[in-house]
Amino acid sequence: MAKPNKILGIPRRNFYGIIVFALILSTVPALLRFNTYYVYLATDIILIASLVAAWNIIGGYAGQLDLAASAYMALGAVVTGNLLAFYGLTPWLGIPIGVLIALGVAVAVGYPTFRFGIKEVWYALLTAALVVILSRIYWLIYGSTETYLPTYEWSWFYLRFNRYEPFYYMLVVMLAIVLWINYRIRHSKLGYYLNAIREDELAAEALGIDVRRYKLYALMIYATLASIIGGIYVCITGVVGYRNFDPWLGITTAVMGIVGGLGSVEGAVMSGMILRTLEDYLRGTIGSQYPGSHLLVYGIILIVVGVLKPEGLASLIEYVKKRIPWLKS
Amino acid sequence: MISVEPMLLVQNIVNGVFMGLIYSLVALGLALIFGVMDIINFAHGDFVMIGAYLTFLLATTLLVDPTLTAFITMPLFFVIGVAVYKGIIERVLGAEPLIQIAVTVGLLMVLRNLALMIFKAEPRGVPFTVFGFPINVGPITIAASRLVAGIVSLVALFLVHMLLTRTKWGIAMRATADDREVAELMGINVKKVYAVTFGLGISLTALAAALIMTFSRADPYLGLLYGLLSWVIVAMGGLGGVIGVLASGLIIGVIEAIGISVVSAGARELFIYLTFFLILWFRPRGLFGRR
Repeated sequence: MAKPNKILGIPRRNFYGIIVFALILSTVPALLRFNTYYVYLATDIILIASLVAAWNIIGGYAGQLDLAASAYMALGAVVTGNLLAFYGLTPWLGIPIGVLIALGVAVAVGYPTFRFGIKEVWYALLTAALVVILSRIYWLIYGSTETYLPTYEWSWFYLRFNRYEPFYYMLVVMLAIVLWINYRIRHSKLGYYLNAIREDELAAEALGIDVRRYKLYALMIYATLASIIGGIYVCITGVVGYRNFDPWLGITTAVMGIVGGLGSVEGAVMSGMILRTLEDYLRGTIGSQYPGSHLLVYGIILIVVGVLKPEGLASLIEYVKKRIPWLKS
Repeated sequence: MISVEPMLLVQNIVNGVFMGLIYSLVALGLALIFGVMDIINFAHGDFVMIGAYLTFLLATTLLVDPTLTAFITMPLFFVIGVAVYKGIIERVLGAEPLIQIAVTVGLLMVLRNLALMIFKAEPRGVPFTVFGFPINVGPITIAASRLVAGIVSLVALFLVHMLLTRTKWGIAMRATADDREVAELMGINVKKVYAVTFGLGISLTALAAALIMTFSRADPYLGLLYGLLSWVIVAMGGLGGVIGVLASGLIIGVIEAIGISVVSAGARELFIYLTFFLILWFRPRGLFGRR
């Protein structure tokens, strides 16, 4: 049966929203007058926004506080990077291989974890520990030396450029895809199941939802997206090392997702962009005198949001939506 | 393939036992907070870190032994703990776990980056301690500082155990842990018990920090290590009382020591966290009967 209201499986309104959003974002480099540094910052912000949007699937929809975003991202990054650096393999093949390995780790960790009913704080701690474990394993294998990717002036084959604009546009496309997947999940059986699991896992199970399976699906989709983002990330920075497995990135990703409002991908993207911009701004201005001050601000925002407004930015978006009639569905 | 000098292994395990005692002390505070209040505190390790810096500051300005600074830092941390409880924790009591985690992660970031701002990512060590000499027992060398740290930890664990089992306050705490509403009906001022528990839990980290500073150093990244470590210990045996925490701390200390001697010093966290995975997967109630 045809559903006229939908394009590519998501509501027409959301589809046009993504297109308009991507078009607005694609004007940004021109607005920045193609200044290399500013375009780099913009690229970084889009990267984080995509990562937070991907996190929204496991954290927001499935309600599992996953702190291992950087683990899956780094797996994509180190696999892609090492294949390119040591075997000259193009990232176009390296990224899929990285995705497969990240998926393997996600299933190997996620299956027993969900099978044994690990949730809430224990899930969060387990995923935080996962980042450290992977970092240590990588360190044991490759040591603390960092590998640098070969440089090319302008190579689409090796995804290495001397400017950041190609990456910027790639990540805008990636962000659009992540948003599309988010909407797609929200309006599918999987999304309704995940929503039920987040609200009350026991009740969901009692209703016959295979809780473990759908949590695992959410984890797998999220790990896939995060590792693709990681594969692009490594081509931007050109450095591979054990530092890619950064526990703090995993925590800040979750922080941005929570500040954005759990289950709201718009809020997640917004908070990712705002907080990262703020972070870069603070780092550039007062960060040199007071290292860590930008993250201090994060902490304060997080406490304030947690104590005063646990719904996050999403409630603000809802408020605006109610005021503007044509945004009402 | 892997050959290990037997004496080195024994030496490392002895060190591991003493480290395990300190880990138990850190984890005990967390176990109290989690057990009694059901609050998920992610910032616990960062209180250790702040305590370590404070110990450094006090020891170097007052020119006293780092162990003595605990007499100042412990009451101070008690007050800080009560203040943090009143200011932040009380508002998220009974909130969703996710919100509690978010708020305490926020607290963690504030503490960690405050330290980073003030001390600029430079590790600080106390240059002097009266326990800076080694003790030789046959072929095994024990640093006096570690021995003292271990003994003080053990005494502190014993005192907390006595507090929990023999005093009115301790019984009130355990009653609140068992059933908050019934405890309230029995005339226990639950809010007060919570404030005291949080303060006590935090002040224990100050003692641990003072002991750690006799042989180690303070750096802003200490927090994540001690935070995760104490959660691992709580997962293993936290709510089995002080005995459970002590046993788990010792196990973790010894596992870490074996990891250091068999693989490499960089692999210490690897073994601890792998143990954490296995414990959560196969013994989710902990080794010593977690609820």
